[in-house]
Amino acid sequence: MSNLFDSHGAPGSGWSQPAPIMAADQVSLPAELVRRKPARWPRLSESEVVRHYTWLSTRNFGIDTGFYPLGSCTMKHNPRVNETIADLPGIADLHPLQPERHQQGLMAIFHEMQGMLAICSGMDEVALQPVAGAQGEFTAIRCFQEYHRSLGQEGRDKVIVPDSAHGTNPASAALAGMGIIEIPSLADGSLNLEALRSVVGDDTAAMMITNPNTLGIFEVEIAQASEIVHSAGGQMYYDGANFNAILGKTNPGLMGFDAVHYNLHKTFSQPHGGGGPGSGPIGVRTHLAEFLPGPLVKRRPIRSTDTTAIDEQWWYTWYEPRQSIGKVQQWHGNAGAVVRSWAFYRRYGHTLEQMTEHAVLNANYLRHRIHQCAREQGVEGEFGDGSPAEIVKHEFTLSMLPMKESKGVSAMDVAKGLLDHGFMAPTVYFPLVVPECMMVEPTETESKETLDDFAEVFVKVLQADAETLHAAPTTTPVGRVDEVYAARNLCLRHPMDE
Amino acid sequence: MVDQLPNYGRESEMLSVLGMDSIDELFADIPAAVRYDGQLPLPEPQSEEEVLRDARRLLGANVALSERVSFLGAGLYRNYVPALVLQLIRRGEFLTAYTPYQPEVSQGMLQAMWEFQTLISELTGLAVANVSVYDASTAAAEAIAAAHRIHNRKAEQKDVVYISELTPPSRMSVIRNYTQGGGIEIRTLPHSSDGTLDLDAAEQAAGSCGVYVEQPNPLGLLDGGLVRLKEIIGENTALIVGVQPTSLGIVECPGEYGADIVVGEGQPFGSPITFGGPIYGIFACRDAYLRQMPGRIVGRTVDVNGEVAYCLTLSTREQHIRRHRATSNICTNETLIALMGAMHMSLLGPEGLHTLALRNMAACQLAKAKLGTITTLALPHLSGHHYNEFVVELPGPASECLDYLDSQGIIGGLDLSRWYPERKNWLLVSVTDQNSKAEINLLAAHLAAWSSAKIQGASE
Repeated sequence: MSNLFDSHGAPGSGWSQPAPIMAADQVSLPAELVRRKPARWPRLSESEVVRHYTWLSTRNFGIDTGFYPLGSCTMKHNPRVNETIADLPGIADLHPLQPERHQQGLMAIFHEMQGMLAICSGMDEVALQPVAGAQGEFTAIRCFQEYHRSLGQEGRDKVIVPDSAHGTNPASAALAGMGIIEIPSLADGSLNLEALRSVVGDDTAAMMITNPNTLGIFEVEIAQASEIVHSAGGQMYYDGANFNAILGKTNPGLMGFDAVHYNLHKTFSQPHGGGGPGSGPIGVRTHLAEFLPGPLVKRRPIRSTDTTAIDEQWWYTWYEPRQSIGKVQQWHGNAGAVVRSWAFYRRYGHTLEQMTEHAVLNANYLRHRIHQCAREQGVEGEFGDGSPAEIVKHEFTLSMLPMKESKGVSAMDVAKGLLDHGFMAPTVYFPLVVPECMMVEPTETESKETLDDFAEVFVKVLQADAETLHAAPTTTPVGRVDEVYAARNLCLRHPMDE
Repeated sequence: MVDQLPNYGRESEMLSVLGMDSIDELFADIPAAVRYDGQLPLPEPQSEEEVLRDARRLLGANVALSERVSFLGAGLYRNYVPALVLQLIRRGEFLTAYTPYQPEVSQGMLQAMWEFQTLISELTGLAVANVSVYDASTAAAEAIAAAHRIHNRKAEQKDVVYISELTPPSRMSVIRNYTQGGGIEIRTLPHSSDGTLDLDAAEQAAGSCGVYVEQPNPLGLLDGGLVRLKEIIGENTALIVGVQPTSLGIVECPGEYGADIVVGEGQPFGSPITFGGPIYGIFACRDAYLRQMPGRIVGRTVDVNGEVAYCLTLSTREQHIRRHRATSNICTNETLIALMGAMHMSLLGPEGLHTLALRNMAACQLAKAKLGTITTLALPHLSGHHYNEFVVELPGPASECLDYLDSQGIIGGLDLSRWYPERKNWLLVSVTDQNSKAEINLLAAHLAAWSSAKIQGASE
């Protein structure tokens, strides 16, 4: 069965269930609301469903399949005990509208996570509610907006972003109703302080930036940038997508940021699930704490009337910040991701900086090995570095421009060539400031042997002739996919009448 | 942490390749003024066994719905998740993949999501669906924003959207956060005392950008009047209907009565409640709304050899291409949970879906009939038709009643004063296919006991 809708089971076949507890003819429904045409769903036996999804899984590449150096996405190993924990009834079968006394254990984990994330980022208060990085950005911008309003500064309605920023930064700020001012980066891709100085003013609400930047380079003038924005009355927002590069070595608080989001699905190993779920908690400094989306978990010493306390000292309570922006998700965010991330962090504890060290070591090692292999094979002229920096943080960029010009092979062609060797391709064409960009992020969970293999294969791909790469991939479940055809001949569901 | 770092102990070997002596050299670019020195004030590292033990202790102290007799719903519903869903979803090829930017090695998830779009399109009676947004509330908010973008230019009531006054405050809050930036004014539509939408009052919404209502509504009522709503508000005002998706096994799909966008909480298909996240928001619409849709959409196409293949499409709506002009800021969504939904739907089939809906409605209506016989309780919407939920008016505060029920091992429902502060005595009882007759009888017995005691206490 190559398609779910190819099967033609007989009416009445399929999944059996207990009978309704009241006879069908006693169930009442307004006549105008009786469904007339049933959904044309397939009729399948359990074996067919198992086989279909198993087959689909064999046509999909995950971290478990192989090396996944997708820049900006931090595709690290997802420890399996996290899944075991997320299946426990104390989270899977827990309802957010149950009373506090039913939730003490999970609230303790929330409280610990709020504290851990604050410590790691140099912030004062954390809200776990945002469910994705982009939603964290949006939430923080809403907090800035209400903060400025509380000071009578409604006119602060512009958000500054570097041209190398993740696309979600300007999109999230615009969703909150902000105007966007994009500033150009310097030639090496780093932050342009002069450009920043020229755009800040009475209308500045905030600046959004990630550090290290999207080229994997640490912005050494970050503290000066914070000072420029702060003296103009604006707020500084740290996009935590690249947090894996700095955790334990510096933090957004020290760099002068007022708010930050964390991608639990990047730094803290929540599996990305083919597109989600993620989790994007935000941390803020004290002056923003009362604007956070509520409720947050607080604790107080236990009283004699508290039953079912989970420790001898503390009772956990939900707290609604006084000037809260309200909610961004209906419940308490992606609690399942918070619990998995808690399990991840607990295994490192105070040694979390080892994770960062190995992520950065692996990135620099791989970058070095790619250049080394290229020199050995005499193809070092086929590509360049996206940035001239001596050392990078957790990721690095390469530009395939020379190869594009010399033999018409693009970054995308190289990416497709890598797929034929059993590797996931790096991110391509981002950041936009690097022409023919490939962005490589190995993460800390890859062995030296894997990195060596990848460097050698990468150079081998560069040596392939143009025709081979234009035709790649050829060993994958399908050949190169025609994305233009998809957009011009929209087919967004099964047509059924085929 | 040794077991998560394959190169642990091999640092100097790798550093020497870089011509370095210590890890610190890799961080030499961080200016001293912003360096964090010293150890993070966090606990000792733990082994897998120790973490699991702590997790079991902490989460084991919670009271899971499965340990009690429960009638709590209010947007998240107890369901039966077939065994294969929980097992297949953990296949690493699905679990550990990223967004399918390289379609040649992501055909599995792409095809599964294209099939999901088809399942949702069939379920809702609308032409297209996306691969999920965060939850039902963000789906409603995104739908309102999309309706505003489409209709505002020609709208007689510029920047105005109407939503049912019953919309729970947490959902209302999400909607306000998402729409304030676009300058959208939210006005509410009243309901009649029988709990249904006041259709005469709904006429005021004609000429606005859109109307958001729910079917069943937050009081659990199936509202037959909604089939006339599109005619009342007119072609140029979007009708957005929020659904409990399993109900569509019996209840007419909103696409058939003029809905332009259907949203809803996907959780009852395939996902445990999980404390309200991760769950997944359903978003389906008419063709005309397609280019204003948020989120990822998968299209069927061909590969270079002419074979069927799938890929993400219409990306020009999205943030990574359009940046601040994107239809939404959404990037990461809830794909894996939507996949759980797709697996569950694939198993059910059309008859299974009908049976599931019937089981929910039968259980709810049996409970309503049973509680209706208790003279010390009132049912404010007695004449209505209910899917999962109904309101019980108690002779005292619902919060007190819930405490009593809790002491008897029953999670009795939602104290509706949490949504509507003036309704101190209203209890929202939720009954699903997972509730047995015996559980319903138990609830009835305890509610009868509590309410008579309450009335007696008051008269003494």
